[in-house]
Amino acid sequence: MIMEPALLSTPLHSSVLWLIPFLPLFGAILNGATGRWLKNTKVVDFFALGSMAVSFLLVVYTFIQLMGRAPVDRSVTQTVWTWLTLGDAHVLGGLTTNTMTWAYKVDPLSACMGLLVTGVGFLIHLFSTGYMADERKNGQYYRFMAYLNLFVFSMLNLVLGANMIMMFLGWEGVGLCSYLLIGFYFEREYAAIAGKKAFVTNRIGDFGFLIGFFLIFMVYGSVDFDTLMGMTRTILARPEITLFGLSHAPTWWFNLIGCCLFLGACGKSAQIPLYVWLPDAMAGPTPVSALIHAATMVTSGLYMIARMNFIYVNAPVALSLVLFIGALTALVAASMGLAQYDIKKVLAYSTVSQLGFMFMGMGAGAFSAGMFHVFTHAFFKAALFLGSGSVIMACHHEQDMRNMGGLRKYMPWTFASMGIATLAIAGIFPFSGFFSKDEILWKVFEGWYAGGTYHGSTLSLVTWCMGMIAAFMTAFYMVRLMVMTFFGEYRGAGHDPHGLTVPSEVHHAADDHSHDAHGHDAHGHDAHGHDAHGHDAHGPQEVPWNMWVPVFILALLALVGGFLNIPHSLHWLGSSHFSEWIAPILYQVHPAEGPEAASSIEYILMFVATVIWAPAAMGLAWVFYGADPTWARPRAFVKRFPELFEWVNAKYYIDEFYEAAFIGPCKQLGAQLWAFDVWAVDGMVNGAARTTLNVSHAAHWFDAKIVDGLVNLVAWILQQVSGGFRKLQSGRVQNYAFVMFLGFLVFAFWKFLAC
Amino acid sequence: MADMNQVLFVSFLLFSVGVAGVLIRRNALVILMCVELMLNAANLNLIAFARHSGTVGGQAFALLVMGLAAAEVAIGLALVVALYRKKDTIQVDQINLLKG
Amino acid sequence: METLLASIGHYMFLVFGLMAVAGAVALVASKNAVHSVVGFLFAMLSVSGCYLCLNAEFLAVAQLLVYSGGIVVLFLFVVMLVEMTKFKEKGLFQTQTPISLALVVLGVVGFLTVFLGTWFGKNAAVPLTLEPGLDQGLNIATQNAQAVSRGLFGGYLLPFEILSVILLVALVGAVTLAKKERM
Repeated sequence: MIMEPALLSTPLHSSVLWLIPFLPLFGAILNGATGRWLKNTKVVDFFALGSMAVSFLLVVYTFIQLMGRAPVDRSVTQTVWTWLTLGDAHVLGGLTTNTMTWAYKVDPLSACMGLLVTGVGFLIHLFSTGYMADERKNGQYYRFMAYLNLFVFSMLNLVLGANMIMMFLGWEGVGLCSYLLIGFYFEREYAAIAGKKAFVTNRIGDFGFLIGFFLIFMVYGSVDFDTLMGMTRTILARPEITLFGLSHAPTWWFNLIGCCLFLGACGKSAQIPLYVWLPDAMAGPTPVSALIHAATMVTSGLYMIARMNFIYVNAPVALSLVLFIGALTALVAASMGLAQYDIKKVLAYSTVSQLGFMFMGMGAGAFSAGMFHVFTHAFFKAALFLGSGSVIMACHHEQDMRNMGGLRKYMPWTFASMGIATLAIAGIFPFSGFFSKDEILWKVFEGWYAGGTYHGSTLSLVTWCMGMIAAFMTAFYMVRLMVMTFFGEYRGAGHDPHGLTVPSEVHHAADDHSHDAHGHDAHGHDAHGHDAHGHDAHGPQEVPWNMWVPVFILALLALVGGFLNIPHSLHWLGSSHFSEWIAPILYQVHPAEGPEAASSIEYILMFVATVIWAPAAMGLAWVFYGADPTWARPRAFVKRFPELFEWVNAKYYIDEFYEAAFIGPCKQLGAQLWAFDVWAVDGMVNGAARTTLNVSHAAHWFDAKIVDGLVNLVAWILQQVSGGFRKLQSGRVQNYAFVMFLGFLVFAFWKFLAC
Repeated sequence: MADMNQVLFVSFLLFSVGVAGVLIRRNALVILMCVELMLNAANLNLIAFARHSGTVGGQAFALLVMGLAAAEVAIGLALVVALYRKKDTIQVDQINLLKG
Repeated sequence: METLLASIGHYMFLVFGLMAVAGAVALVASKNAVHSVVGFLFAMLSVSGCYLCLNAEFLAVAQLLVYSGGIVVLFLFVVMLVEMTKFKEKGLFQTQTPISLALVVLGVVGFLTVFLGTWFGKNAAVPLTLEPGLDQGLNIATQNAQAVSRGLFGGYLLPFEILSVILLVALVGAVTLAKKERM
């Protein structure tokens, strides 16, 4: 069946769409402006949670509205105000007078994203009311809630925006909020640096996004998504597009746009080479990691690719790049996760790796599979992060897994939730991760097997292998995490028979107690101020309801969410609701052809993956860490390959490489420029001073020599003349008589004798 | 009988000698005497013309001039004496208090 | 004899005139002040002689009395008073002497030119006569004293009286000026 690009012909105009993002904004403003002077932090909670809840309900309402309409009409829009009115902009089609509006559009894709953002966001807000309890006392609590609301506002702008300007607004806004939230404990230099790193790395990506944005505008003449989708066919029909004096086929330009936009996605969604900020971002509070770096901000790159699918399906080179980078990231990040000891770091690398999977899906052309993985990943990753937050809280802000263990006795709900999430991420049937991840791997494999639609088959095969290895590693390290944390005996109370603990650093602690120097040996015998966390000094305890309930809800979603998008081959379980749901927004290049026929291969692959591949990894991890409490095997492995372990543990020294190759020279350049500026500016100032001095000297010389000289000259002349005349007056009468006689003679000669 | 021209010539000569003396000599007394000489030359002139015109006015005038010259000499010499007392010299060169 | 006297008389005036000029030159050129006074005296006497040649007897005698008798004596007195031998003279003549002499000579030459022009030139006028005329019935030549007295006390009485006042004033003034300063 040939489907025309979905021209959303009769969008519904709504007048309440603007509330969806703006309610959290109002919450942020209220909390930010007044929170400092509010004695009762429950008011802060009310504003923050209330705005999130109402926003979520509005999205649900809009979603229901959408469901009631025909697929081609599924769009609810609202134009809030006109933002920019451009004059005549010279673009491809000639001149265009473009109006950029502040407008929202809810269509199938953005409705799902909106549900995700507001729903998961609400759960995380609820979680953080418990997690950030310490901050209630420092008076910093309102700030956290305000930032979270601001983040949700930006994210909703991103996903609900009707044009690229709105997307970019949200893009930048989430970057800013990420910076604010990562560096929430700004008094710690570590956290401030991490925030800065995140922001700068994001900015590098944003540069790519902007270039792509500009190119789209130059080519299309518009930034509105509906318009862009509708014009693509005609743009592609042109033989050649000429911009900036370069003349190429449209596909060439689309490739360029796709690569530039992908650079932005690399920054935002932490792909190679711009992923380095995500592990450091764990310096922020755990709810931040869960919300931003698991569920929402990092998925904005994927949302952008899904939104711009009309570019990507016509840009095979860009898609190949996406596929390759995604696979590479998935593999490399998974390998790094194998050797981390900090529980949050493992989850961070897991996030990077899973994002790589999503990009693999996009790169294979399976946009719906990639987007579906976004949603399932959001569920289980958020559950894992929040669960780890609960664990950290219970262990008195201990984050090193070697100092945990045996927590399933103390925290059953958390254990259950995280266990479900682990099975989901490993891809075990029928958890949600199975459906999404295996769909992606199948699509990549199909690209090789069925002689790929978009790119060469070798690439598909290679990336499929990378993806499978990454999936193996994923299952391994997740089970490793679970075993180290929840199984065995609790090692945190000083009870460490096998010598597995390390001195607790606890510098990631979320509170400002003078905790750090104390090991956990101090647990048994004195009273620190731990009672504020609601548990006593004996051992870890389950966290309060407002913390484990969100985790549990997310785990349940991770359990059943998979049934929303059953792949075609398993159609007897259900149908691929999700793929059908977002199909209208996808640009169809040509009629879908034959892969239906190869579903037997699909079955085989799925079976292998879920029954053999992942359980093998899980079993290996159990053997290494679970069966033997002394961890003899991993230790032996490390002893055999110490450099390998060290290399992986140090994340392949990529951070150091970046520092030496890029950041160092930049800093040097900055220092040189600063020195030049000081020299020039000071030089100018001094030069100005010297010039003024010289000018004043010259003026003084002029005044003294010339002006005074003139005056003196006059006086001198007078003096000379009067001196001359003075000599006439000798005082001697005889001289006077002589002169008289002289005058008389003159007179006489002149008058009388001249006749 | 003398010729008018001769008389005038003589008086002129006398007068010019007197002028030369006034201008030349440093001695105040000699200068005064030369002034008298000039007066005398003028007298001679007067008398010559009186004789020519036949009136007596010229000669009366000359008599008056003579009297006046006497008065002037008296004053002048008194001045010289007073000057000599002050400055201890009668060289007119040195009487230059009004020298500018 | 009368012609001889007449011819001598004709030239007497010139003789006296030249003697007067000689005396004047001696006055101007003498180093010694007394010599100058003597020259002065000689000149006065000669001028008196000139007056005589012009038949102005009254004035001749007055000249003798006033000038040579009074003024010369005054000069001599003052010369003695001043005691010029006490000090060194810077010089007899002024520094401007050459120029002054040159000027005077120039003047003389100029005037002489005019004189000669009137005397001997083509426009030489008839010289004025010295022939006496009659004035109020008196010939000033032959009855000189009467004529002069008549004129003096007649028409020129006022100047005469004023002259006496002038003389008085000069007397007083001379006394005042030459007085020694009180201590």
